[in-house]
Amino acid sequence: MVDGNTSREQLLETLRSVDTQTLITMALIVLIAYVLGRVITILLLKLSEKLSHTGRIKVELVIPIIKFVIYLIAFYFIFREIFKIFGPEIFLLAGLLGAAIGFGLKDLFSDIVGGLVITFEKPYQIGDKISIGNYFGEVTDIGLRATKLFTPDANVVTAPNSLIFKETVASANYGVSEMMVVIDLYIAGESHVETAMRILWEAVVSSKYVYISKEKPVILLHKALPFYTRLRAKAYVNDLRDQFKFESDVHTRAWVEFQKKGIMAPQLHILNIPSIEEKYESDATTRRNLGANVRGLKDSK
Amino acid sequence: MGNMVGIQHSSSGEKDFVEVLGLREEIAKIQSTIADFETGKKLNIAIIAEPLRGKTTLSSEIERINLNRATKITFSKIVQNKNEISLPNDTKKVVVFDNCHFLYMRKPGGFDIFYEFLDMISSQNRIFVTTWNIYSWKYLNEAFGLGKYFPVQIFIPAFEKENIRLFILKRYEKNEIKFAKDEESEEKPFFYIIKYPVELASLGKKIFIPVPKINVSYLRNRLLKKQKIEAAEDQVFEKLYLESNGNPGIALRIWELGLDYPRIKPKNIGIFSYEVDLEYEEAFTLNLILSYQGLKKSEIAEIIGSMVSVDKILYQLLSQELILKNKNDSYRVRPEALSSVITYMEKLRLVW
Repeated sequence: MVDGNTSREQLLETLRSVDTQTLITMALIVLIAYVLGRVITILLLKLSEKLSHTGRIKVELVIPIIKFVIYLIAFYFIFREIFKIFGPEIFLLAGLLGAAIGFGLKDLFSDIVGGLVITFEKPYQIGDKISIGNYFGEVTDIGLRATKLFTPDANVVTAPNSLIFKETVASANYGVSEMMVVIDLYIAGESHVETAMRILWEAVVSSKYVYISKEKPVILLHKALPFYTRLRAKAYVNDLRDQFKFESDVHTRAWVEFQKKGIMAPQLHILNIPSIEEKYESDATTRRNLGANVRGLKDSK
Repeated sequence: MGNMVGIQHSSSGEKDFVEVLGLREEIAKIQSTIADFETGKKLNIAIIAEPLRGKTTLSSEIERINLNRATKITFSKIVQNKNEISLPNDTKKVVVFDNCHFLYMRKPGGFDIFYEFLDMISSQNRIFVTTWNIYSWKYLNEAFGLGKYFPVQIFIPAFEKENIRLFILKRYEKNEIKFAKDEESEEKPFFYIIKYPVELASLGKKIFIPVPKINVSYLRNRLLKKQKIEAAEDQVFEKLYLESNGNPGIALRIWELGLDYPRIKPKNIGIFSYEVDLEYEEAFTLNLILSYQGLKKSEIAEIIGSMVSVDKILYQLLSQELILKNKNDSYRVRPEALSSVITYMEKLRLVW
């Protein structure tokens, strides 16, 4: 049986014997893996931009897998070096590593495991528009530790991969290039609803960003509320990156036509009354549209 | 396909287009549907095709065959006035509407005429034979379920090589055109490699795949001591067929570009592959031009909502040689660029 002092001395002795060449080799392996991962990611992303929408998504799908394989190979070589140095004492080192993971590196370890889960379980993929935690945006990179999101406000959010263990992930498109967009327009209660619905329909189906098929139809919904009327269109945008352009395009062209046909926005004082129905649907889109309509009304006065 | 229709010249003045269409089955189907209408079964007909495939000529042929019972109405630009689609009192039982893709304007408030048209064809006791650009048709079918109004749909198929040859040579007297061999092709060995063009929809490019080929015509000429001129003719029409994808309008355009009257050489038949690189709004405008087949600047401006943008966009499309301006001031896709444009549009999923 090996007592504690002897083991520690053996381990220290082994650590002292590590030469510079070995450290450089291990650092080089890490560097090469990182650079290779970056280069392949950049090249594949550039290639994917030249492809069709569906082709782009397919190429982006393989990026995390390739990166994972590269890191796996790098780990293998590093581990081989470590085993060469420590031999059977690796198990002693494992105890130290376990303590380190338990204290300081547990988050990093959890992120790496999260990265593996994301790579193989695919709760989302590069190119998807997702909501995770408090963040919403397009996934631009899935790394071993973190996922990068490009938000509508042009921020790059780096979300740790371990978030998938704690938060619900919502993917708006899940691996396809088209994505449903919900567009709400609010009109005065006394406006002619049928005309307004027809205009909204035409604004949606004639948009340059729309994608229509039997599987991806345009749906129009009408809801009469106590003081105003909500028109809702559910339609698919051709490329998920054009989500907000699509929404804006439909708003602009529908309101131009509404004004020609005498369809009015709700009165300002009505909008200040909190609606019983609407409080249950207070999503960001709804708020934004209400704000836009109020501004439109102000401008027209 | 392959059976030629033995019919006379069309009344539209186009040269013997129908003679080589080989659309016997399609014409028979249309005639049968018209005959059914006489016995009380009404099914409206849509003739659908890419630009330059010959739908106008086919509709003229239908009018000619049904001379005593057909009235033809052609739209040459976007219809803005409801009166333009109202039928005159002397309209016959078979109504042929050509270029129905001009019956809508892709913008809010731009579909009123289209609704009127659908209402008319549903309510009147007449049978309607209509022609549509395939890209407008697909769009309207997905957005408005257009196909339900036209249970009989005729998609004009691609020409076969022999039909392309007949279609083009019909324009000239016998032996009027001299087919000359390329200097280098005379030296072509019995076995050689040709580059076969393949459109890659996903990349928006045309690639050339090397294909081994036996110089059959040269061999035959040598064995049968035929004139070399036959091999040159074969080569010309093979290249025309491949480059046009069996589209007669494109084949004719490429022929005209390569013809040094009265001589033509295989090497003069150009291979057209355009590097299309456009911003989204430019691509959308190009899609509009493709779908309508011909649009005036004012019409484009009305659809996209900005005259300033239109100038810039049209300049870009013209400078990339993707469109040309017709004598009637409308813009259309260059026939020789059609294949590249369609591939690019499919890549962007602007056409379905």
